[in-house]
Amino acid sequence: MITVQNLSKVYQNNRAVDDISFTLSSGKCIALLGPNGAGKTTALRMMAGLISPTSGTVELLGEHSGDIRSHIGYLPQHPHFHSWMTGREFLIYAGKLAYLSKKEAASRADQLLTRVGIFEVRNRRISKYSGGMEQRLGIAQALIHKPELLMLDEPVSALDPIGRRDVLNLMEELKKETTILYSTHILNDAEESSDEILLMHEGKIVESGSLSSLKDRHQVDKITLQFEDSPESYRQKLDHLNVVTRTEIKKETVDVYVTDQALARETILNLALKEHWPLLQFEMGRITLEDLFMKVVQSYAVADRIQ
Amino acid sequence: MQWLTVFNKELLESWRNFKWIWVPLVFILLAITDPLTTYYLPQILEATGGLPEGATFEMPEPPPTEVFMMSVSQLNLIGVLIIALISMGTISGERKSGVAELILVKPIAYHSYVTAKWAAYTLLIWVSTFIALLASWYYVNLLFGEVSAGSFLRTVFFYGLWMTFILTISIFMNTFSKTAGLVLFFTIALVIALNLLSSVFAHVVEWSPALISSHLRNALISGELPSALWGSAGTAVLFSIILLAAAAYTLKHKEIS
Repeated sequence: MITVQNLSKVYQNNRAVDDISFTLSSGKCIALLGPNGAGKTTALRMMAGLISPTSGTVELLGEHSGDIRSHIGYLPQHPHFHSWMTGREFLIYAGKLAYLSKKEAASRADQLLTRVGIFEVRNRRISKYSGGMEQRLGIAQALIHKPELLMLDEPVSALDPIGRRDVLNLMEELKKETTILYSTHILNDAEESSDEILLMHEGKIVESGSLSSLKDRHQVDKITLQFEDSPESYRQKLDHLNVVTRTEIKKETVDVYVTDQALARETILNLALKEHWPLLQFEMGRITLEDLFMKVVQSYAVADRIQ
Repeated sequence: MQWLTVFNKELLESWRNFKWIWVPLVFILLAITDPLTTYYLPQILEATGGLPEGATFEMPEPPPTEVFMMSVSQLNLIGVLIIALISMGTISGERKSGVAELILVKPIAYHSYVTAKWAAYTLLIWVSTFIALLASWYYVNLLFGEVSAGSFLRTVFFYGLWMTFILTISIFMNTFSKTAGLVLFFTIALVIALNLLSSVFAHVVEWSPALISSHLRNALISGELPSALWGSAGTAVLFSIILLAAAAYTLKHKEIS
């Protein structure tokens, strides 16, 4: 629904965002990942129309016409409000700016205040809000005009564990109504609540795709075994198998690196059954997002050093 | 519709932070100080014992129009500073704090955002100027003699244009810098420069907006409207429009924060 083409932003020879292109399809929750300073915020702000790109375009596809901002909800990393307003007043103000009538804006505001869980403090001045309340109000104001694309910049990094949980649950619900693009450097959150990821590093998108396809692509062919007794004696037998390239003992477990996971699973399980191995744990190696993140970022860092 | 939303929000903000109370009050104080002190100067001198024993003190009573003009001059000095002060953060402050990030990602036209803010402050300034000069006019009529209602209204109108022009400069500066202090400095600097240049080259730049108050003085004394006054007023309006358009343009093409 939104296509970004060759988007770049250059600040005094520093390419904050370097020629990125991607397409977001509707109804998905996409995580924009990357270490600090990777250019996530700059990319989001260009898409929201807050800063103009040095080159490249951001386009909404389909029957969307007019101001791109009508279809986008945006929450900056550190939202600030008119602190002399009440939460409800601010939402109504934001709604009216997005072409809602006064009545629509008011009913939508009440609805959202309930939804993000700050209805009780709606008539309190924003200056008296806690950080968590402000973040919730921020999400509410981004949703006020039912945008088709919701962009959240680090929506949970500033929250305590409870607030984080609440916001992640809220995002889970919102997924059904709108496309969500959010940036984060917390990998657990991304793994938990996103369908697709875009991984940025030094202004470039270095990996993208659905989480499962990424994991497939970066699959480590590894099987982890744990026995009731010491793994030493089994290690030799494993080493003799054709599919096994090498083994590695880590305390109680043994990591078996293999050439073909499916074949290796069958062979090892057959052997274990035949010889009555006292298996405690049998785990097919699955790469976590964290492994992937480190792998990609480090491989780029290494490549940079070689150059 | 959106324009009205921003306009109403600005009025509410000025009301909540008491601008609608203190600005008119300060303007009234500025405007009535001169008529009152001029009138009561003999009594004040007597009470404070500033004269030696036996000395008599005769003050020529100034004409009413002259006293009324004193009020305008007072407003001209400190009123300008107040206008620059109350408006120095209206856009720059929102950009600096980050509120502008939330407002300007909503589909609002930049020119609506700028002109609605400008209009809200213009209203405040015109109301304050009107009330202040009304108070001054009342005391002048009471203590010195008649200044015609026409002269009073004419002064409010033309002087209001000059005040609006200063406000517009400040709004324009707001889109240039995120620092309110710099906005204040540039606004005041520009107004002072304009005043200086206009009085030095008064004959060359007869239609300079900065000459409105000096043209007004002539108009009050002669009771006629010199064409230069209209000229100055015209340039003030023209430059205000240009500055507003430029402000909307800069805001749109500048990084918002």
